[in-house]
Amino acid sequence: MDGNVLEMKKINKNFGGIQALDNVNFALGEGEIHALIGENGAGKSTLVKILTGVHQMDSGEIVLDGESTIIQNPIDARRKGIAAIYQEMSLIDSLSVAENIFLGNEPTSKFVSWVDRKWMFREAKKELAAFNIEIDPRMKVSELGLGKKKIVEIAKALTIGAKLLLLDEPTTGMSSAEIDTFFEIIKELRSKRITMIYISHHLEEVFKICDRVSVLRDGRNEGTHQVANVDLKTLVQSMIGKDLDGIARQRTTVPTDEVILSVKGFKAENMNEPISFELRKNEILGITGIIGAGKSELGLGLFGYSKKLSGEIHFMGQEISVDSPNSAFRNSFAFVPEDRKSQGLFLSLPVEHNLTVSNIKKVLVGPFLSARSRRKLALDTAKRMKIVPLNMQMAAQNLSGGNQQKTVIGKWLSGSPGILILDEPTRGIDVGAKEEIFNLIQGLADKGVGVLLLSSEFKEVSTVCDRAIVLIKGSVRAELRREDVSTERLLTLALGGET
Amino acid sequence: MNKDLTAKTSSPNSLMKSIKKLLKSEIGLLIVLVALIVVFSILSPYFLGSRNLLNITRQFSVTLIVAIGMTFVILSGEIDLSVGSIAALVGVATAIVINATGIILVGILAGLGIGLLVGLINGIITVFGKIQSFIVTLAMLGIARGVALVWTGGRPVSRLPEGFGTLGAGYLGPIPVSTLVAAGVFVLAYMVLNKTKHGTYFQSIGANREAAKLSAISVSKYRIMAFAASGVMSGLGGVLIASRLLSGQPTAAQGMELNVIAAVILGGASLSGGVGTVVGTLLGTAVIGVIDNGMNLMGVSSFFQQIVKGVIILLAVLARRSD
Repeated sequence: MDGNVLEMKKINKNFGGIQALDNVNFALGEGEIHALIGENGAGKSTLVKILTGVHQMDSGEIVLDGESTIIQNPIDARRKGIAAIYQEMSLIDSLSVAENIFLGNEPTSKFVSWVDRKWMFREAKKELAAFNIEIDPRMKVSELGLGKKKIVEIAKALTIGAKLLLLDEPTTGMSSAEIDTFFEIIKELRSKRITMIYISHHLEEVFKICDRVSVLRDGRNEGTHQVANVDLKTLVQSMIGKDLDGIARQRTTVPTDEVILSVKGFKAENMNEPISFELRKNEILGITGIIGAGKSELGLGLFGYSKKLSGEIHFMGQEISVDSPNSAFRNSFAFVPEDRKSQGLFLSLPVEHNLTVSNIKKVLVGPFLSARSRRKLALDTAKRMKIVPLNMQMAAQNLSGGNQQKTVIGKWLSGSPGILILDEPTRGIDVGAKEEIFNLIQGLADKGVGVLLLSSEFKEVSTVCDRAIVLIKGSVRAELRREDVSTERLLTLALGGET
Repeated sequence: MNKDLTAKTSSPNSLMKSIKKLLKSEIGLLIVLVALIVVFSILSPYFLGSRNLLNITRQFSVTLIVAIGMTFVILSGEIDLSVGSIAALVGVATAIVINATGIILVGILAGLGIGLLVGLINGIITVFGKIQSFIVTLAMLGIARGVALVWTGGRPVSRLPEGFGTLGAGYLGPIPVSTLVAAGVFVLAYMVLNKTKHGTYFQSIGANREAAKLSAISVSKYRIMAFAASGVMSGLGGVLIASRLLSGQPTAAQGMELNVIAAVILGGASLSGGVGTVVGTLLGTAVIGVIDNGMNLMGVSSFFQQIVKGVIILLAVLARRSD
């Protein structure tokens, strides 16, 4: 590490009253891999987006190669040698590796825009050889594994002169062999003086590959450490802070001993390992882990959305077969999916439709719908869910995020589910709506509904849940009773640390 | 409420918005229909005669029946290009079975059964083969027509009993029988889509298939049912055509799919799914039927008619654009 290639000084950014970044100082030495860690919402992506010109800072200074600069937009960032490699790939599957690398930057002859393909394949080959990796530049990207795709994406950034790479959760979905190869390549890049910001929830990766690590919490830089001189405990503590551990919410009932749901050796498509657990009457069971730990996959499997591969589900003492969401529903399961817009709602249709679609049988008179009882069912549910405004004919897309989420939950509560599975139910909604949803969940559990809360918000799990299971890469890492559940412990376990 | 409305329409900008909103609703289409009727009755003295008006309903009854089947498909976010070929195949099959058994009802039921079967095949391949319905039904457009041609050697199947002609050409009092059949189909489809849970399900699937599945709807079953409905309705259309001509023509109903899709889209349905009503489809079919008939009465050449129809469809859809 010679001088700093980048210095961000006293960066402030405010989004509608929320201080996303609060006087953040951040520096990068040339040729280092610098980890950026923090919980969801800590400000990592805001910082990255300022650096790539997606957002403009409110105040502060960016010094690039010793010169104060302003990054106007993503194109400007690229021109200044800053490239972001996001989780979602920007490659075009149906084109060859070489075509992707030179996309938008094709070598053409002078007079006619013929693409000089020979030259392109030759240059792409050189470019890839520099990483010591054998990828045929003529191969279609769709034929490559995830690890190699990531490398092609990096190669693409480097051909247009990137000196500073932002890697956002680069190993998501990669196998451990792919990760090893990937690490070899980024070490190679480091030796060629490429500087990298490494954003990851996987702290073991940070310890393995990074030189320094900065922790963001609530928009502040909580400190930058040499990786060699820091341990997991220190990092976890600075991620969650000292005074912020959640206060467990009061419950009016205690979970009984009566097991209502028993899952034995259950494995569905996209799950890594079979999982077993029990859920008791009146209980809220948290299933937590970092993003990608396999919570949603479990939820989708239990609800019959993805195909069951092995194991048994027992509900109220009887084995049930769940081979579709419809059969799960008939067994009184309900599922609130992670992405309310694409999986939960009919955005273009009225709130009434959204609230009654799954329980429409309740408003049938013989074979016919009763418009009146349908309206009443929607209105009663909306009132219970405190959906604002109480306009049942409004399209769901016009509701705020929190009210949309209440509508998705209301879709099930217009009936009477026995098991309610919620996947990230408070993501992206305001504090007030969060409170209301927690109250609702607890109210349901008090009435005897078994609640399964899938969440990567550790604080949420520690305040709401009676018991928590921590997943790592699809298998159970630990199970904690209520008195043992704390944000710090959950986070430490989820990040692969010891208890 | 009323006060609110007048306040909103006071400025020219919001007046435009109100007009646009009106055009988007079925009432807008009704206004277009009435305007067309007024224009044609001024231009042609014969147009408004009750005989001619009933004649129009007879002419468009086949299109309406097939378009109602198509409404189920488009509402679910799919398309069926094979309707014309199914109609021809069913017409041929009905004629052959009637000739073979001598019983009209058996022939009709066999024909409708074949329509149902082809529709089911369309649906099953689309759903379980995970292929776009555009492609599946494009292939079926060729296959069904080809089967009809091969089966008959390309020749019409005629010498059908006179009684069979009642369905397509007969009258009950002043009203054409085929109009009554179409009216029956309309009422049935209206009930299914608006008064039963099935309509809610079709619409949900078209609006967001993923969410529909996660709302515990049997998405595969309903998608297949939409194609089955379209198959049966195309078959019924084919039976009516065969009945009117008193022969099963393997070349009947060529290009029908385009007219039918145009009627459904004109009726306000969206090709991306989730939007569409049978009332809209009825009005869409009527608009096209009135234009056809009116221009025929005025002696407009059929070449020119096609241009006019195309322009009207474009204008109607432009006026209803959602942004």
